[in-house]
Amino acid sequence: MSGDRPGSIEAGPILEVRDLAVSFRTERGLVRAVDGVSLTLGEREILSIVGESGSGKTLTVLAVMGLIRDPNAIVEGSIRFRGRELVGLPDGEMRRVRGGAIAMIFQNPMTALTPVYAIGRQIAEQVRAHRPLSRRAAARRAIELIEAVGIPNPAGAAQRFPHELSGGMRQRAVIAMALSCDPALLLADEPTTALDVTVQAQILDLVRKLRADFGSSVILITHNMGVVAEIADRVAVMYAGRIVERAETAALFREPRHPYTLGLLGSIPPLEGARPRRLPAIPGTPPSPFAIPEGCPFGPRCRWREAACAVRPELVAEGGHETACILTKEARAAARAQSLAVTAGAA
Amino acid sequence: MSGEARPLLEAVGVSKRYRVGNHLLARFNKVVHAVEKVSLAVQEGETLGLVGESGCGKSTLGRCLTRLYEVSDGHILFEGTDITVLGARALRALRTRMQMVFQDPAASLNPRRRVGELIAEPLIVHRRGTRAEIAARVRALLREVGLLAEHAERFPHEFSGGQQQRIGIARALALAPRLIVADEPVSALDASVQAQIVNLFMDLQERLGLTYVFIAHDLSVVRQVSTRVAVMYLGAIVEIGPTDEVLSAPSHPYTQALISAVPVPDPAAPNRRRIILEGDVPSPIDPPPGCPFHPRCGYATERCRSERPVLSEHGRGWDVACHFPLNGS
Amino acid sequence: MLFVLVGISATVFLIFFATPGADPAARIAGRNATPETVAAVRKEFGLDKPLPVQYAMMMDHLLVTQDLTSFVNRGEKIVPEIVEAAPVTLSLVLGAAVIWVVFGVVVGLVAAAFKDTLIDRGLMVGSLIGVSMPVFWLGEVVNLLTQSRLHGTFFFAWVPALGYVPLRQSPLGWFAALVLPWITLAVLYIGIYGRVLRANLIEALNEDYIRTARAKGLSDWQVLTRHALRCSLISFVTMFGLDFGALVGGGALLTEVVFGLQGVGALTYRALEDLDLPMIMATVIYASFFVVVSNAAVDILYAAIDPRVRER
Repeated sequence: MSGDRPGSIEAGPILEVRDLAVSFRTERGLVRAVDGVSLTLGEREILSIVGESGSGKTLTVLAVMGLIRDPNAIVEGSIRFRGRELVGLPDGEMRRVRGGAIAMIFQNPMTALTPVYAIGRQIAEQVRAHRPLSRRAAARRAIELIEAVGIPNPAGAAQRFPHELSGGMRQRAVIAMALSCDPALLLADEPTTALDVTVQAQILDLVRKLRADFGSSVILITHNMGVVAEIADRVAVMYAGRIVERAETAALFREPRHPYTLGLLGSIPPLEGARPRRLPAIPGTPPSPFAIPEGCPFGPRCRWREAACAVRPELVAEGGHETACILTKEARAAARAQSLAVTAGAA
Repeated sequence: MSGEARPLLEAVGVSKRYRVGNHLLARFNKVVHAVEKVSLAVQEGETLGLVGESGCGKSTLGRCLTRLYEVSDGHILFEGTDITVLGARALRALRTRMQMVFQDPAASLNPRRRVGELIAEPLIVHRRGTRAEIAARVRALLREVGLLAEHAERFPHEFSGGQQQRIGIARALALAPRLIVADEPVSALDASVQAQIVNLFMDLQERLGLTYVFIAHDLSVVRQVSTRVAVMYLGAIVEIGPTDEVLSAPSHPYTQALISAVPVPDPAAPNRRRIILEGDVPSPIDPPPGCPFHPRCGYATERCRSERPVLSEHGRGWDVACHFPLNGS
Repeated sequence: MLFVLVGISATVFLIFFATPGADPAARIAGRNATPETVAAVRKEFGLDKPLPVQYAMMMDHLLVTQDLTSFVNRGEKIVPEIVEAAPVTLSLVLGAAVIWVVFGVVVGLVAAAFKDTLIDRGLMVGSLIGVSMPVFWLGEVVNLLTQSRLHGTFFFAWVPALGYVPLRQSPLGWFAALVLPWITLAVLYIGIYGRVLRANLIEALNEDYIRTARAKGLSDWQVLTRHALRCSLISFVTMFGLDFGALVGGGALLTEVVFGLQGVGALTYRALEDLDLPMIMATVIYASFFVVVSNAAVDILYAAIDPRVRER
């Protein structure tokens, strides 16, 4: 996997998830929100997980952090971080990893920080939770981090409260906090979705720079294919709790294979070039975890559905590019051409 | 503007200011200049896209255009009539010809009412027919937006985000308005659903001859639906013109930066000269003197810092508010 | 604040004179007084002057010359009485407040931490009981047990007779005399505050910043006490300010009467029973003052707790 990329370090994967399943006990029975997800992540690699509501992308990442607190949740499968099994780890031990070696940032920076403490103090709190530093040393480290993420006047900013900062600054502060203990793995759940596009550009720039400086691996969840193209080394597309396609970024964009990926890419209105008269939208809506169709979960919405789709397709690799779809290579090419034809029906 | 027919909607020097803060004497509260002397015109049948980032005033402007907010200065003309001075009765009549669709469909639909009631309400209030006629119209509207007639019996929370937005649109269409102001109608939706709703907007425009003011922060979406686009920054329009021209050859440095900031879904695209703007989107409480964009503009000069540029003609139907527009005029 | 005090005192004044059977002249003159005596009394006390003038005179006596005298007990000066009663009320309320704040916070925290378990349910039921018991009933029951029935036993032998022991006279006695009144008064408030805090904590625990705090690797208890608690204090503090102010001003009158403590509350109680206008007036103004002051204090406290409030 990671050995395919030019310039990669031939080290073992930092994260290995095998057949992860997250189910919930509900009145309506057992619901599988994440259904057999497997993935690996190498060092300094940025993996993007793309999906819409109900795809299970957030739960997957919460499972890695051990943050699924619902007493009705059942987490099964294996999550190995640096060779160490995390599923079933007692909370006391997991806490040592959480925020230390694995850190997470969430979607909405406006509400992610505790409103009553200054940001310097909140960053220092995370540092002291994992390192035996004095208050003063932790405060100094907080200021260093604030500077590293590009917040102007770091010493002064450390005294500011979250509400005194803009959305972009708050997200930087959240990133600073997440990086405070030099995590080997950073999980980012839609970190730029709630931000203005010019600020988003700044944050993405920052993430790239930090990967270079801090050497962390990143899993970045997003539904924005533009962000994926800009920043990800590899992409995994999730639908209805499963991974339906996975490849290196360039390969995925050059040759999208799964009809869902085709649909996602097609539904982005182009900013340059010809304007399609109508966007080739995927009909219907993503299924809720309560009502996942039998067989291929994307079947009901798929243009190229056949009888064989009544059986759930497995994720099959073809030269580093995995797809969970029964379409043959030729059929895929035809499907792609069809998609493009619709798009090309210019304004 | 191309002065052929009278524009359907026209804003002349519209400003909207608020006071924020809890000072005992209102005079000492800070003033937010949400919208600052905006003038624009929308011809019938076209779609004007209003684009900008947080604090630019586009949502406020949208609400002023439908008189959901009262303007602090300026006039708004709809079908030639100044709507800012209308009394209550005339305002009610106005509402039948001009409607709004909002961003968060879950928040704009009363969760305790059935969908059918929500769509029928404008018809009932304005007494558009007997009960049977109204019910028939509700069914027709549901079909028009791609839902089923039986959905009228359900409650909003039983629908997905995209479907809820369709319900909101159906409600807006109930009185057969001529103009719809849509405030970020697709921002809260998943990508694949966004495309569906964008298509719906365009289909409805074709079928029903609607005119839109489409407010969004997503440039790609705005490009898809708009015939003309207006870029806003700190309460003012900095550039307005035909969509394709403005977006392919932007004249205002902010438009240029905005376009370059949008991540392109193509890793093979040549590494663009990305313009990363320094600093944050400023707050409309203390707008800087001179050009509102000068603190972040790579091309700012002394003149920009002291003299505020006015929207002036740059090309046919294309105006820019900049002392040194990028493509010269 | 001045506005409020003037308004309240004027209203009390008017209400008093609208109350049937409150003719002060008749009361001062005593029973079986002849109409001439009553008329003479009226003249002497200026009760025949128009109301606004009487009001002004009374305010003058109360606040300026401070020689306001009671209508009921001739010669009794009001202001010194209040001054003497104030420390009693203050002792009672301060002690009770300390107890109820500490226990209210503990109850709220533990209930929220063990939400939906037996501990939580038990605490909430206990709080409900505490809230439902009328303080005078509880007080009398406590007295019954500690003063008479179980007084001989080891548990309650130390309980002194009802009444206040000044601090200066004997700190231990002061403490012993107040322990039971403190607890009785606090029980009600622990119930309310515990429940309110629990509700606020549970709400806060659903916020995004709590998720971030957990992601930092903090333990559940740290998240609860350091992050959730601080953000849930607003209601708690508001209520505390109002309750404390009202109590210091004499609102604990039932407790004071039951335990024989001659505080401002007890004075108010007596004044109302006797319809002694000057005393009523004085205690009402005293109480209003504290309510207004505590409101202002709460506002200041907000700014200390929640930085979002600081920038006006």
